[in-house]
Amino acid sequence: MGGERLKIILSLTPPLLIIFTLFFGGIFYGFLQSLGYQPAIGKYEINFSAYYNVMFSERYAKLFWTGLGLNLWVSFASTFLAAVFALFGALAIRKTFFAKTICNFIYSLNLPMPHLVVAVGIIFVFSQSGLLARLASQIGLIGSPGDFPVLVKDKYGLGIILAYIWKEAAFFFIILMSVLQSLGENFEELAQSLGANRWQRFRYVILPLVMPNLFSASIIVFAFSFGAYEVPALLGVIYPQMLPVMAFEFFLNPDLNARSEGMALSIIIAIIVMILVVFYFWLTQAKIRKD
Amino acid sequence: MKIKLKFLTLTFISLFFSKLVFAETAPGFNSWDDVVKAADGGQVNVYMWGGSDAINGFVDDFYGVPLKEKYNITLNRVPLKGTVDAVNQVLSEKEAGVTGDNGNIDLIWINGENFWTLKQANLLYGPFAAGLPNSEFVAWDNPAVNLDFGRPVEGMESPWSSAQFHFMYDSARNNYDDMPRSYAELSNWIAENPGRFTYIRPGKGGFVGTRFVKQIFFELSGGHAQWVGPFNQELYDKWAPEVWKLLNSWEKDLWRGGETYPKDNAEMHSLFANGEVDLDFTQSPRGAGPTNTAGTTPPTSRAFAFYENMIGDFNYWAIPYNAPNKAAALVYANLVLEPELQAAQVQPANGFCCGWGISTAKVTDAAGKAAIAEAQNNLGDAAEDQDILAKALVSDIAAEYQDLIEADWEANVLLK
Amino acid sequence: MNNNLKKINIYAIYLGAIILILPLIAFFINAFSFRWFYPQVIPKELSLQAWVRLKLIPKPGQRTFEGFIELWASNPAVIKALLNSLSIGFLVTIVSIIIALPAARVLGLLNFRFKKLIIFIMVSPTILPPIAFVLGLNINFISWGFSGNYFGVCLVHLVPIMPYVVLTMTGIFANYNPDFEHQARTLGANKTRTFLLITLPAIAPGMVVAALFAFLVSWSQYLLTFLIGAGKVMTLPLLVFSTASSGNPALTAAISIIFIFPAILILFFTSKFVSGESGATSGFGKI
Repeated sequence: MGGERLKIILSLTPPLLIIFTLFFGGIFYGFLQSLGYQPAIGKYEINFSAYYNVMFSERYAKLFWTGLGLNLWVSFASTFLAAVFALFGALAIRKTFFAKTICNFIYSLNLPMPHLVVAVGIIFVFSQSGLLARLASQIGLIGSPGDFPVLVKDKYGLGIILAYIWKEAAFFFIILMSVLQSLGENFEELAQSLGANRWQRFRYVILPLVMPNLFSASIIVFAFSFGAYEVPALLGVIYPQMLPVMAFEFFLNPDLNARSEGMALSIIIAIIVMILVVFYFWLTQAKIRKD
Repeated sequence: MKIKLKFLTLTFISLFFSKLVFAETAPGFNSWDDVVKAADGGQVNVYMWGGSDAINGFVDDFYGVPLKEKYNITLNRVPLKGTVDAVNQVLSEKEAGVTGDNGNIDLIWINGENFWTLKQANLLYGPFAAGLPNSEFVAWDNPAVNLDFGRPVEGMESPWSSAQFHFMYDSARNNYDDMPRSYAELSNWIAENPGRFTYIRPGKGGFVGTRFVKQIFFELSGGHAQWVGPFNQELYDKWAPEVWKLLNSWEKDLWRGGETYPKDNAEMHSLFANGEVDLDFTQSPRGAGPTNTAGTTPPTSRAFAFYENMIGDFNYWAIPYNAPNKAAALVYANLVLEPELQAAQVQPANGFCCGWGISTAKVTDAAGKAAIAEAQNNLGDAAEDQDILAKALVSDIAAEYQDLIEADWEANVLLK
Repeated sequence: MNNNLKKINIYAIYLGAIILILPLIAFFINAFSFRWFYPQVIPKELSLQAWVRLKLIPKPGQRTFEGFIELWASNPAVIKALLNSLSIGFLVTIVSIIIALPAARVLGLLNFRFKKLIIFIMVSPTILPPIAFVLGLNINFISWGFSGNYFGVCLVHLVPIMPYVVLTMTGIFANYNPDFEHQARTLGANKTRTFLLITLPAIAPGMVVAALFAFLVSWSQYLLTFLIGAGKVMTLPLLVFSTASSGNPALTAAISIIFIFPAILILFFTSKFVSGESGATSGFGKI
């Protein structure tokens, strides 16, 4: 028995070591810095003024709370919609039809696309002078770019949501496809033979079976979209601004006080994500137990 | 005793003279030959804003090649999203205790508040600028050169080029004669052309926008002269409300109703080129030339300036305190001041953005003078009349105004 | 009714596919044109200028075989970035799989105290945002000498990669039956042979998926490489980001095409592992 324990500990050590020293170590040191502890320039006092400044000071309060609202909205909307699209796509694509393999390929094409490229692509297609707008002007629907609706670089984060849906739907799609494949047609056929119609088959057979996978995947997707920097940096506006972009800009400010504030903001982001994930977990555990 | 005294006196006198005659070229180097020798076979890490591939290409071709061939130095050009990224890097290295020759950065393309941040924190190597052989061509006695945003340079950075703020328009859509020539006229123009104008938001990476707003201060307060010199809080507090009032009065007629603003040159050019707005900004003496060549503005774009209050300034190269290749950095800083290369900067065909870093009047040799003359004649028709530009030229003002304007603009105009 | 529903379904799929393909079309048009401004749909000026500017295609008149070789040998930024991205990606993928393998086996097959906690710790880098740890880590890396060099960038890439690799491979092992190993051992095979001939083939498809995830995560890292690399380690995402902010859409499009090309290749070759009978992705639900 002792040998087994040793084996477990040895096997788990390398990845845990990396995560502890680099990841948690980085967070810890960032936390210290956010409290004002910067020994290299002789600052040793510890206080929470950076946190207070970020959330409640006159200069930043409005930016912070609108940014937080935008963050929550973008993450919830994109995660939910991506899951919905992927689910219907995965279900619909099961049957064979003309050009199925090509469509399959195009849909999974987005999985290896880095987020940066998706963001750039969306700018090229959906901006007011983008490809869609130009097509619209060619067929006479609009005159100048100003007539085209604002879909990217807008204050509701539509462009950002679109970019996340683009990528995350592919992610959900892959997971769902493999689950549905392994499930096979048996359960559905059984339900059908028992007289259930399409909606009932979906609601009571398919949905519960794919839920566990969907839930764990959506936690990751939600957390990612909440804390990621690249996409909102390219597709966002300057007000309201998503929190990770704000944090990074603070950090890049040569004023060292601002850097503490940047660290503080990123710790705040991490804490909010933690709370939401734990809450989410608790919710889904409750739901699964109910079902 | 007497002999000893004589000996001592002689020693002191010769030491004194040697300090004069062999004054350090730059800290740690006794002569320019030492510098060139020390730099041989090494690398130089040049950190500069990378948002213009024309400038990038210029540096690679016009400096990279001679550095290698003449001095055996390899150029490593590091593109940045903003100069502040390099400043930040130096600050982080200082925080982590990196000293001596162990840093990452050799040279930063810098000026204004970024320069001041590093200088006042003692994070720069120098003074080195006067020790460069080509510094004889720099007009160091001119306050536009020896003051950077109102702060004394004191040899801690060496000039590269200059720029002057003015405007671009598309001759296919508008006429030169219809262009506004002051902020008062601009206000009318905006009201007559709703949705066709915007400006870059003053902020990090948007210093062109900050300049645009600063100039409003000059015009509304009746003159630029009172703004020169140290920061004047009262003067600022007196005129700032007027400026915000003006900017807010434009809002409903601005692009997107003033809800959002482009955050840098790139976004601005894109709006202009795609026909979303009709006016754009430029800092090059060649007006719309560089962007036309690069294809980021329509080939019909031309330049115009207001008749007054167009800010112009110099930009420089600075060396961080912990640069790993200080000798190579000095060679580079000297190379960019070479008259023929300065002339090449200004030539439209080479695609560079900006103007002279040296004073062309100080160049005396024939080859240099010929290159300069050719460049002056070649500015191209996408440029504004150089006389108009020269008449409107005013210097930039103390660095404190920059942060203040950026923060207050955000509070009073954007968030309103 | 059912038939009509089916038709709508299928047309919706076609529409979706067309929309998904539009950005790619925009990339290609942008990359091969000059001054493609609104309202042009078909570009007025087709040109290779973007590629010439990126120093990937020589200027007209020098487009011979030697011309290409000479140009690429001058180490243009794009080639440098491409090689860095590829090599870092391969390196961290291999390292992460080697590190993750024993841990995944233990997590997938055995049950022990704190198992749930350990899994949660392993997964935490995907939950907490990278910005939370890399800002603090940056200062430490500078003083340890890892900043601004290849090694430091590889090291920091491991952080976001480990969770994916561990998670995927744990899923494989959760569906894995160790009995075959026991049988082989009783038949006299030693540990190494058992591993090579029994275990490895069984987990290989899952390992491929894990490697795919790992490579892609490293391939698309921007923030980590930007901060830790300190500008000295240039990778493709950094180049894409800085070009995208520079306002020259043709250049951005050209670099983006290079950026996505290997990723699409990978998709091609591993599609059979991902699209169906993979225990890896279904293992997600069991955790």
